[in-house]
Amino acid sequence: MPADAKLSHTAAMILQAIHAGQIYGFSVMEMTGLPSGTVYPAMRRLERDGLIVSKWEQQSIADAEQRPPRKYYRLTRAGKSTLEAVYRRYPLLERMIPSPEPEHEVRR
Amino acid sequence: MKPASTHTAQLARLIVRSASLLVPHRNRSAWRAEWTAELWHLCHRRCCEPGDAPDADPVEFSLGAFHDAFWLRCDRIRSSGLPMLQPGSAARCALLLSAIALTALVLCLCLPGARSALLPLSRRGAGNLVMISSDGYAGTQAPSIRLADYQEWTTDTAALFTEIAFYRPAAKSVHLPRRPAARLAIAQASDNLLQLLNLPVAHAGTSVAEPGQRRLILARSAWRRIYGGDPHLVGRIAEIDGQSVLIAAIMPDGDWHFAGHIDALLLENQRNLAALPSTTKGFVVARIRPSAFPAPRGGWRKMVETRNGVTRGFECISVTHTLGQPFSVFLFALLLASLALPATTALPLGDYPLRHRRLPGTIDGRRWIFLAAKFLLILAIVDLCSTGLAYGLAASDPIRALYIQLATAFPALLFGFRWILQDQRRRCPECLRLLSNPARVGQASCNFLSWNGTELFCARGHGFLHIPELPTSWFSTQRWLCLDPSWLCLFPEPRSASPGMV
Repeated sequence: MPADAKLSHTAAMILQAIHAGQIYGFSVMEMTGLPSGTVYPAMRRLERDGLIVSKWEQQSIADAEQRPPRKYYRLTRAGKSTLEAVYRRYPLLERMIPSPEPEHEVRR
Repeated sequence: MKPASTHTAQLARLIVRSASLLVPHRNRSAWRAEWTAELWHLCHRRCCEPGDAPDADPVEFSLGAFHDAFWLRCDRIRSSGLPMLQPGSAARCALLLSAIALTALVLCLCLPGARSALLPLSRRGAGNLVMISSDGYAGTQAPSIRLADYQEWTTDTAALFTEIAFYRPAAKSVHLPRRPAARLAIAQASDNLLQLLNLPVAHAGTSVAEPGQRRLILARSAWRRIYGGDPHLVGRIAEIDGQSVLIAAIMPDGDWHFAGHIDALLLENQRNLAALPSTTKGFVVARIRPSAFPAPRGGWRKMVETRNGVTRGFECISVTHTLGQPFSVFLFALLLASLALPATTALPLGDYPLRHRRLPGTIDGRRWIFLAAKFLLILAIVDLCSTGLAYGLAASDPIRALYIQLATAFPALLFGFRWILQDQRRRCPECLRLLSNPARVGQASCNFLSWNGTELFCARGHGFLHIPELPTSWFSTQRWLCLDPSWLCLFPEPRSASPGMV
């Protein structure tokens, strides 16, 4: 997907939430306030378009904590550049879901 | 947030497991694992991460899994290119019409009257059956033959008919011990009627009628309505007109179009029939010797009888012809609708300069095949629905049923044909999808050397359709404007769904 592609506000929020460190499906839901039936399809589309990638955590870690392994998401390089373009379209996005500190410093 | 109760967690897991069954098999385990993991964290977060944020309901979270699963299914269909669920596609239209036709067929087969009207030729040996009438076609619906004539024909017409039977409708009271008297519409008939008509009987009793004993064959509907489907009724002795009658069998409904509503057949031998007044009028059914009659015209044969210096004519009307009336009426309605159609809508489909683009002939052919398929399906739907409605409502009155069929088939065909043409005009000639995004262009007051009307475009970028509001000499009919592939980037459909479509 090109960097200047137009994302819906929902997709932009999810992308920003992942960028902000909410790397699990449920934490994205909590951060954005979107229901599960919206977040997961959107994340699958973002993944299909190469803006995010997903990975299962190691089984040994989950076993050590006696819980099921979780799937986590992170932004790709294309996702980061798309997000930069999206900030121009949705200026309030960063205020709603603040980016992690190092990113802020870099941008400033 | 309180830790989720065990019951809530179990319910949420059950919902997630159910939702995962809707996910395509290839992705099912991964989705189930992700939902289950997130659900586990949702349920146990208070324990693991005290002081955490807002409440979240595990059941609400797990119900969202159904939405995810539904999206996955739709996405899979979209990505596999199956056109069935794509709105406005030709396949969807054909599928919908086929489903309606199939439903109408099933309903027709379920209604006994409609089934026999729909499958009139399934009866064995119906080709040689005729109804003898002294009053033309009306004589097949109202009694027209005297009993005396029938009795003479049983002996005199062996060269013409191999079998001949008589029946006359009458209302009679049937008395059964320990049951109230029931008033039934009974066809008092000669005892060879069942064999002549090849009527099947069900629930035949084990008792055998004595020679000369009158037998009552109940219609299944009357058996259920009046006697509650009593399985022990067959073989019992009833009383009609003070005479004992053996209830011999139950016959299916709708296997024979008896004129009027008939609850039962009362089969009597010739001696008992002779007790009726000779002027009693009834119906006569006969099986003809084909060699005795010239080839029929329209299913009619003429029989002339001269007796005591008096010549009388009778019509022998083929039963096959009579039973084929519903289809004849449908064909008549089709003729009327075809004649009326040009008065209600324009017949041309528009100006489609497809050949200028050197498109393969299959694209143009596919358009015409789709049009023909719609016509065939509409014909089938209207035939089935009108037959089902007419003979479902008025199975006992064939004349009324024919009128009902004509009154429903004609407007249904007319509006069906109108819809077919309008639908065809609103489709892209290349992909056959419905055109979208109508836009009004121009003004009616400013159409000098210009035009005003409506424009629609194909979402896949195949072209534009211009529909003039006022036909003029230079723009009389709708016109299709093909777009070359360089325009495709303006149209969203050829590309896959993007995150922007969340």
